[in-house]
Amino acid sequence: MIHLVGCSHHNTPVELRERLAFSPQTAQAALARFREEFPQVEAVVLSTCNRVEFYTAAETPEELLSHRQMGEFLARFHRLDAEGVLEQLFRRSGQEAVMHLFMVAAGLDSMVVGEPQIRAQVKQAYDLACRCETAGPITHAVFQAALKAARRVSNETTIHRKRLSVPSVAVAEFAKQIFERFDDKQLLVIGAGEMAEETLRYATDEGARHITVVNRSRERAEQLARRWQGQARPWEELLEALAQADMVISTTGAPEPIVRLEDFRRIEARRYQRPLLVLDLAIPRDFDPAIGDCLGVYLFSVDDLQEVCRQNLRERQQELPAAIEILKEETAAFMAELNRRATGPIIRRLRQNWQQIKDEELRRLFNKLSHLDPRSRQEIEYAFHRLLNKLLHPPLESLRDHAQEGVPHGLLDALRKLFQLPD
Amino acid sequence: MPSSLVWIVTIAYLAALLLEVTRIYFRSQLRGAALVGLVMGGLATHTLLIGYRWVGLGRDPFSSNFDWCLSVAWALAGVYLYLTLYHPQNPIGIFTLPLVLLLMLAAATVASQEPFAQSQEARILATMHGLSLLLGTVVVFLGLATGVMYLVLAFWMRRKHRPPRLLRLPSLEWLQRMTQRCLLLALVCLSLGFVTGLVLSQLRHGYINWADRVVWTTTLLMVWLAAVAVFILLYRPARQGRKVAYLTLASFLFLLVALVAVFSTPGHIGGQGAGERPGSPSRVGMAMPGESLPEGSLR
Repeated sequence: MIHLVGCSHHNTPVELRERLAFSPQTAQAALARFREEFPQVEAVVLSTCNRVEFYTAAETPEELLSHRQMGEFLARFHRLDAEGVLEQLFRRSGQEAVMHLFMVAAGLDSMVVGEPQIRAQVKQAYDLACRCETAGPITHAVFQAALKAARRVSNETTIHRKRLSVPSVAVAEFAKQIFERFDDKQLLVIGAGEMAEETLRYATDEGARHITVVNRSRERAEQLARRWQGQARPWEELLEALAQADMVISTTGAPEPIVRLEDFRRIEARRYQRPLLVLDLAIPRDFDPAIGDCLGVYLFSVDDLQEVCRQNLRERQQELPAAIEILKEETAAFMAELNRRATGPIIRRLRQNWQQIKDEELRRLFNKLSHLDPRSRQEIEYAFHRLLNKLLHPPLESLRDHAQEGVPHGLLDALRKLFQLPD
Repeated sequence: MPSSLVWIVTIAYLAALLLEVTRIYFRSQLRGAALVGLVMGGLATHTLLIGYRWVGLGRDPFSSNFDWCLSVAWALAGVYLYLTLYHPQNPIGIFTLPLVLLLMLAAATVASQEPFAQSQEARILATMHGLSLLLGTVVVFLGLATGVMYLVLAFWMRRKHRPPRLLRLPSLEWLQRMTQRCLLLALVCLSLGFVTGLVLSQLRHGYINWADRVVWTTTLLMVWLAAVAVFILLYRPARQGRKVAYLTLASFLFLLVALVAVFSTPGHIGGQGAGERPGSPSRVGMAMPGESLPEGSLR
């Protein structure tokens, strides 16, 4: 059995999520305390910027904590009012909890649908539970199955391949269509803001090495250049740097275009129409749009890139039904396996009991018929074995059939009582 | 057998082209393997066909228009297979295989023409002439494919459109480099073919008939290629972007005119095996190695 309580960006304000959030250290402390209080129960804490989820599991319903107890534990740990917290938490059990975890791991429950980082976060949460020894047979199974299901979604759909951030789209969808390689290209960064840095990160991931930063504040340009092993040039040399550049990332906060058409015309001849990719990520725009009509220039503004981001988001959403279908299949397969595992101990005990009876009866019979030759003894042993299997087949078959739809607690109880199986 | 082999090869390439076109509509993990299998099968049969004609019938790749077209198609299909293995995600076949099929169609059209009469004189020069023309034609065809790909991708990018996801082409930089190389190689090969043709004609017949349409279309092609060379040398932007693609496209058109002139001239190449009118003027530019004219004719 598995239970889940949690809160996410879907239903809980950020103020509560912040208060319930765990850092790796506090999650470790919480799991350690949980193990002390509930040594029989398995637990995993998943905490990201958009969600806090608390999973518990136990072999029997009696051992399992209620949702209320789980919420109270969270509130107690964070020193919050339990009733206030319980009101805000969503609750899931059994198959619903499993499906939810699979959706989370595959990124389908994320704020940005299909974002791939969540899979690593789920794995980290599971690893932490393993290290804190609060993971057990059920949580091992369900988290491993969740990671496997997420991999399947990633392999069988394109949901993760469609990029949604402007810098990643700029580099992956446009820069890579223009340039084959980046290590021999001159990359010019105009401005030293966050967007410039994020785009730089994607460009350097693709191999960009020759980075020049130009910024009105020389100091900030030098700081950014130092971080990316580039060089800073004074603002006055902007056009000179532009003449040498192959790719430009421009993100200044200037109220007017910093490169006008007439400026570009002054250096155009020196470029010999060499391709120039300009990613104008500034608002208002840094480059005069007319520069985009010059030969060899590929000019993209934030609007152009955001349009592609929107298309990608739509395409991700189109992939969503296929991804959900995969997760439904995986959940059904996992639940069937989990339920089958729940019937395992009873089946094993039943077999052991009957096997014991068979062995005793055979021993008694062979004592009486000591004159039997080995071949006849073997035949008799085989007949008993077949008889045992034939007698066991119908109840075990019924048990397996019922396990497809959930743990057959009634049947298991009946078997336990009818055949006096020990707990 | 050769006729049925030609059909088998053509069908294999056609099926590969249809498979390439399906990239536009859906993703498939099996398509890549099926595509490579089909082209490899087609190429193996193609090799068998050329080998059979060469070894079995004594017809080398330059012995007739039919063999020449088959050989150009074979080389182009080989390059396509290599590029597909190198760029499995890119639908290069959509731009290359139609050219291969065009060459197979041309081969089928000229299949009934007579082979060239063989001559032992200046054999090495003649082989060099045929080989450089063949290679030059292959690179012009390949340059056409990469040039068209460049223009399509540049068209999308200039309009700030991302290419359709299932129709991803190699980068503009790669396409430009390939087109440039094809253009330069074509320049070298076709020039070599043209010059060796002139020398061959001079050696055999003592003069060149500039009025012959094969000769003047081929000369036109050479004048164009020379102009391209000068243009590229003197005007640096001509080595960049769409200009290279346009130059390759124009080179292809000049080559196409020359090829049509060669294949359609009565009494030329194919007609020579059957004998040419004594004293009739002949041409030089696209003459094939081993080709000789009946006594009395002037080439």
